[in-house]
Amino acid sequence: MTDHVLDDLEAFALGALDERTAESIAAHLSVCESCRVEASSLSDIVATLPDTVPAVTPRPLLRDRVLAAARADGRRQASAAPRGWSFGSVRAGPLVLAGLAAMVIVLGAADLDAYHRLTAMTEERDDYSAIVESLREGGRVWYMAGKDSFAGSGGTLIDPRADGRPPFVLFHDLPPIPKDTVLTVWLVSPDSTWARAATFVPNGRDVQAVQVNMEVSGFDRCAVTLEDNPWGPRHGVAVMESRIVPPGQ
Amino acid sequence: MGALAGKDLGALAELYDRYGRLAYSLAYRILGESEAAEDVVQDAYISAWRGAQSYRRERGNARAWLLSIVHHRAVDILRRKTTFRPAPLEIAEAQPGEEDTALSAEKNVEYRTVREALEALPPAQRRTIELAYFGGYTHVELSELMGVPLGTVKGRMRIGLQKMRRALERTR
Repeated sequence: MTDHVLDDLEAFALGALDERTAESIAAHLSVCESCRVEASSLSDIVATLPDTVPAVTPRPLLRDRVLAAARADGRRQASAAPRGWSFGSVRAGPLVLAGLAAMVIVLGAADLDAYHRLTAMTEERDDYSAIVESLREGGRVWYMAGKDSFAGSGGTLIDPRADGRPPFVLFHDLPPIPKDTVLTVWLVSPDSTWARAATFVPNGRDVQAVQVNMEVSGFDRCAVTLEDNPWGPRHGVAVMESRIVPPGQ
Repeated sequence: MGALAGKDLGALAELYDRYGRLAYSLAYRILGESEAAEDVVQDAYISAWRGAQSYRRERGNARAWLLSIVHHRAVDILRRKTTFRPAPLEIAEAQPGEEDTALSAEKNVEYRTVREALEALPPAQRRTIELAYFGGYTHVELSELMGVPLGTVKGRMRIGLQKMRRALERTR
């Protein structure tokens, strides 16, 4: 048994530890009943802090987005069954993983190692099965060729058009990107409004599928930029792009 | 949660109707941007949707579970920002909350108790807890930011949470 970690439990409960320390505390909690009891008690107090936040009502559209994403996710998982649970197309950052690892140990909920193994095994298979299935169902396809430092890479935007199945981009040969940056997929409307469709980090594999979080219809161009932030307006220059030609034109 | 684990969209809708506003308010308080807050809430609910089978009620309620996912994701985004990190008090003052007429009287009492318990803390303890939880600062960063030893930061966290615990226990 390692030494008790009571000195850091308040910071742990508040999420105020760096990744390595949080992992160390979580590991200790998994084997130490007395520290786990204290951590649980502190977590109960910290769990009340959201009640101090001024209430702000989200746009009604958010409820629809959540349900639509779950519906699409359920169908995608059903088409690729069996598979494990994952955290979506955006890769979880180290802090999220550390936080979830801590939460998982406290809650006794699941095994993150199992998650990693399952994700690695199923994602690549899903990539290929999804594109084959989509094309079989008459999906529309547009290819974006990489430019400049992304020359040699590219992405195919696929709109499956099947009911409830979301569009996605199948990228190939993506180069590594600088630390603290992300790649963002944009859909551009005829009035040059850029809508963020997906944010992700290259996974290092030859092929990577990224789900698009909105319908393609109504847009006439798609593009990918390198961004410093995973939200907000576009700042980066397009590293790949393509016109989206509506059917019949 | 059992229905959610069974992939019942109605259960997810109910979970959203019950905690969606609170989840969004928390994400918005941390990030200060509506678009990013919406993304966090959507990600959190999809994580809950996918991970509901691993949920264990005896280890924490659904509300705490969901909000912990929201918190972790929002803070993760916040820590990736390399420029300005909004201070939680500034955001709260800039964005006054809405009058919450939807809450039951019982709930209103409970929420008011938590707010009062936090507000009753000495400013240094309160600010330490708020900057850690809503500002995403680690205790080491807080030590540098506030110009006090790390032990002082830990002490403020410990005493502050102890006082909140006692205040909450008195009302339960």
